Amino acid sequence: MQAEKSKPRNPTVSEKLRHLLISQEGVLFIIMLASVLFLATRTDKFLTVDNLLQQGRFMAEVGLIAIPMTYIIITGGIDLSVGSILGLTAIVLGWTWQELGFPLELAIITGIISGTVAGFVNGLFIVRVGVPPLIMTLATLALYRGLAEGISQARSARGYPEWFFQLGQGELLGIPTQLWLLIIAVVIFAIVLARTRLGRALYAIGNNETGARFSGLTVNRHLLFIYTFSGFMSAVAGYIFVSRVSTTRSDMGTGIELDVIAAVVLGGTSIFGGTGSIPGTIIGVVLIQLLKNGLVLTGVTSDATIVVIGSVLIFAILVNNFIQRKRDES
Amino acid sequence: MNKAKNAPVPRRPLHFIGIILALIIIGAYFLLPFVVQPERGPSTVAVLTESKKANELGLFKTGLEVIPLASLGILLLGIWNVMAPAASRAISLLMSVAGLLVIVYYINFFRDYAADEATFISQMDIAFWIMLVAGLLCVLQILIPRPVPEERYRITKLFGNQESVILFGLLLLIFLVGIANPRFLQERNISDILQGNAYIAVAALGMTMVIVTGNIDISVGSLIGLLAVISGRLVVAGVPSPLAWLIPLFVGAGIGAFIGFLVAYLRVPSIVVTLGMLSIIKGVLIIWTAGERVTDMPADYHLSQMRPLGIPMPIIIMVVLTIVVVLWMRYSATGRAFYALGGNAEAARLSGLSRRRLLMTVFTLNGVFVGVASVMYSTQFQIIQVTPPPALELSIITASVVGGVSILGGTGTAIGSTLATLLLNFIRSAMIFINVSPFWLKTVQGLLILVTVLADLIRRRRQRL
Amino acid sequence: MKKTLAITLILALFLALVSMPLSAQDRWDGSDELDVNPLECMGAEMMDDDMEEDMDMPEYDGGMVAMGDSMAGMDIVVVDVPKLIGIGYFGATTLGQQLAAEELGNVSVSTDGPTDANIDDQIQVIDSYITQGVDGILFAANDPVAIAPVLRKALEAGIYVVGYDANSEPDARQWFVNQAEFNGIGKALIDSLVDQKGEDASFGIVTSTFTTPNQARWVSEMWAYATECFPDLDWLETLEAQEDAGLSFQQAQTLINKYGEDLDGIIGLTSVATPASADAVNQADVCEDVAVVGLALPNAMKPYVSTGCVRDVILWNPVDLGYAALYVLRAVVDGEFNPGDSSVMAGKLGELMVVNGSEVLLGPPFVYNMDNIDDFDF
Repeated sequence: MQAEKSKPRNPTVSEKLRHLLISQEGVLFIIMLASVLFLATRTDKFLTVDNLLQQGRFMAEVGLIAIPMTYIIITGGIDLSVGSILGLTAIVLGWTWQELGFPLELAIITGIISGTVAGFVNGLFIVRVGVPPLIMTLATLALYRGLAEGISQARSARGYPEWFFQLGQGELLGIPTQLWLLIIAVVIFAIVLARTRLGRALYAIGNNETGARFSGLTVNRHLLFIYTFSGFMSAVAGYIFVSRVSTTRSDMGTGIELDVIAAVVLGGTSIFGGTGSIPGTIIGVVLIQLLKNGLVLTGVTSDATIVVIGSVLIFAILVNNFIQRKRDES
Repeated sequence: MNKAKNAPVPRRPLHFIGIILALIIIGAYFLLPFVVQPERGPSTVAVLTESKKANELGLFKTGLEVIPLASLGILLLGIWNVMAPAASRAISLLMSVAGLLVIVYYINFFRDYAADEATFISQMDIAFWIMLVAGLLCVLQILIPRPVPEERYRITKLFGNQESVILFGLLLLIFLVGIANPRFLQERNISDILQGNAYIAVAALGMTMVIVTGNIDISVGSLIGLLAVISGRLVVAGVPSPLAWLIPLFVGAGIGAFIGFLVAYLRVPSIVVTLGMLSIIKGVLIIWTAGERVTDMPADYHLSQMRPLGIPMPIIIMVVLTIVVVLWMRYSATGRAFYALGGNAEAARLSGLSRRRLLMTVFTLNGVFVGVASVMYSTQFQIIQVTPPPALELSIITASVVGGVSILGGTGTAIGSTLATLLLNFIRSAMIFINVSPFWLKTVQGLLILVTVLADLIRRRRQRL
Repeated sequence: MKKTLAITLILALFLALVSMPLSAQDRWDGSDELDVNPLECMGAEMMDDDMEEDMDMPEYDGGMVAMGDSMAGMDIVVVDVPKLIGIGYFGATTLGQQLAAEELGNVSVSTDGPTDANIDDQIQVIDSYITQGVDGILFAANDPVAIAPVLRKALEAGIYVVGYDANSEPDARQWFVNQAEFNGIGKALIDSLVDQKGEDASFGIVTSTFTTPNQARWVSEMWAYATECFPDLDWLETLEAQEDAGLSFQQAQTLINKYGEDLDGIIGLTSVATPASADAVNQADVCEDVAVVGLALPNAMKPYVSTGCVRDVILWNPVDLGYAALYVLRAVVDGEFNPGDSSVMAGKLGELMVVNGSEVLLGPPFVYNMDNIDDFDF
């Protein structure tokens, strides 16, 4: 999906631009721009710095989880347990702090470690035992949520000290703290996917797993890594979430997996593996978040909003399919 | 294979053990009522059932009628054993399972009764002990060494597929939980669990077909909600009940065909289409109904509460549809083409199958099954809740994949998905019966799903070796 | 063969293991470090009024709205954000708000909220309306703590904030219209059960989830009241059923089948669980043996009450709740209702009392039965 990949001669700037515009991400970006412009003409409350930053705050969790989800879907897998890992992390964090009396810093670390371990367990079973990812993560979707409920005994942990909220509710240089985290993560992991051997390996696995194995790639290690990574990012998202809403409950993050997957596939990542990119995913995340917010601001209620979002999802992929096919033909 | 091992096995007295034990149990069973109620004379199960006493004994609450069925099974196994001595090992396993059934149901019955009347024990001594000992022997006979069986009678062949692993898991669960809390085994409980989840099993049949072709449908949960409301509103508006049952099928087929069209002709991946449809349908449902539940349906609308021949309708629909789908997928050209499409789309194309037509067919069919499921759902209660159960689509997909449908397509059967639906829901109910802490219920459920999946993987790995 | 046996053994061991240590029945008593305040036992209801006289009026502990231009008497735009949209209960509160808006004439109110009862979605919806610039927010919180920051933000932006149905942290809103005090509900449920099945009845509870705040409070109040007044009551167990009619129905069936004749009553704690439990009891044909008591909307319960299968249904009137919430908000905007006041006028409902510092009490919980259920339509 890299627009600049494998060009026989040096393309001119306009050629490059044209190529970028009709790439998967380019088309999606245009759709996003069109929606933003449309929404901006309908209300002057939408396109303001404050509002956009606030939306950045809200989409940090989905955005962070969408990064490893893109990696996983590129390899032809899927991870449905992310929402449950988020909940488990939140509960472990709150429980170790309130019930076991850990210092809060240690509780945060314990929470993130347990989320990472949860992702590692997914990866271990998928790689070593050969459980298909969908089945494994469907099972752990129930299992991790169950652990969260069991550990918390339906109690919630609240009353955190003020500094704890810095990440979820604070600002740094005028920008929400977690948005910094998202931006940094996006930049790093977009480069990792597009420019490193790890990234190329993931595409190779997604295109042809057996082939990748035979060509000497350590497929298992790569897969184990990305599922662990997914657990880690879900755990970080869990920490941010707790910091933002100032309480822990075992049902946190329920259903977030579908939001994440919707953003990833909207971003042009093929569910069959082999194609996709982080910029695409992030455009997907942003588009959905801005639609949610913008439509409310223009006076559309939530029930109609989800109809619009569903339609946009199908429509965007439809348009993109059409354009990509035309491009491949020409 | 060593030829010598497959030499004919001589018939020995051992091979008659099944027939003998079965006759003893059946004898004791029909003797039992006579002992309990000497004034009635030699009684039969029928007499016992009809008598008011039977209900007080809690016969049909505890499922005592399983005993003659199980002993009949033992008898048939015994006859098989005499005719095919080489199959002894496989048969002895089945026989001990049946023996376990006898004991569990018997002890269960006994416990219930003894709680009411202590004198019961002294009244029924002979029959009670004979039956118990025969049942125990039936279980223990597996310990007697048997000759190595022929290849085609290997026990491992019993676990040759996911369906049998799940069936085994289901039976094991029922036994163990039944021993821990006999009330689990009462007929009403078993039939309640079957009835309440039959609609999930029916939806999982459609899902199985979709997944077999390498696709997925995430919108089924909200579609069930929408079709249920359509059906309910129609019947309240005065449409005759049979029509209100049928219309959701057509609407479901229509929506399914639309999804199929997008997937097949416009080449949008099914997960994208159905993710989109999930939120579209949900939104439309809320806008349309504003959450107002449907009530005042006419009495003849409640399909799911009907009991033709004494069997609850949902169970009949579930069983019939499962059988139809199994046969259809195995023997019809289209059904087999689904597997081909999922297994290897390229090969399917080359062999002249129209990918587009097949995808249209499978999604339309799925819509019909969702329609049936929605009618089963909407006719369960006096009111129809507008919001469909949260995460219903996940339950349905879980049932399909635990039942052995590979998400990559190409394998899986309808019977597996139905059995898996039952297993998952039996687990949920069973955990309550054995007093698992409510806070840990979901953990145990998740672990058991994992164990089922792992058991199947281990089996597959062994087969490959 | 060995491996098959191994699998079997693992399964068996596993089942045995989980069933043994956990079967010690952790009973859910809703405790989330909440204070309980059980009412006087049945037959001593006269005491209620005295108690209120005795108690000192607690200080106002609600939040303060940032002072802007007074909007007294001016047209205001109000948004109502319930826990979720698309369910009957909040449809009824919306109806009440529309009625109040019509009467008042200078308020335009619209309802919008998450499509699932999801903490985060609700926060985002409220945040968007703050940006849009409404004058007042009515809310029913999915989580009292999680919703607090965004409500404080609204107060800072000069938006009047009044809660109903499910509270937030007190300082994150100005007033909370309480449909009925938690201890009142707890007492009403237990009293109705005891009245029907005696002081040694054994019963199970079907709730939404253990983490839903209102349900947790009701259970802990029931627990406290029963321990004090009816120590012989046998609490069998509490089952979760989300807000799912099918699951509630199955959980009720499970209770009936598991306990058989030992079960005297089922208490439904959600407007979904109660009719579903009634249906389960009805279909199992044990109306005589098992009393269904619970919170539910009258329309949903009519089929069961009219056949006599269910005697009492307990609920406040959700239409009145929505109606009162909007009246309170209007009174606050108009400056007619200020911290320290002990009552507020709410249209046709008359004068409503202030309790617990910053809560407006709708009234005692209402009991529907065969005689009056047909008078209500919601």
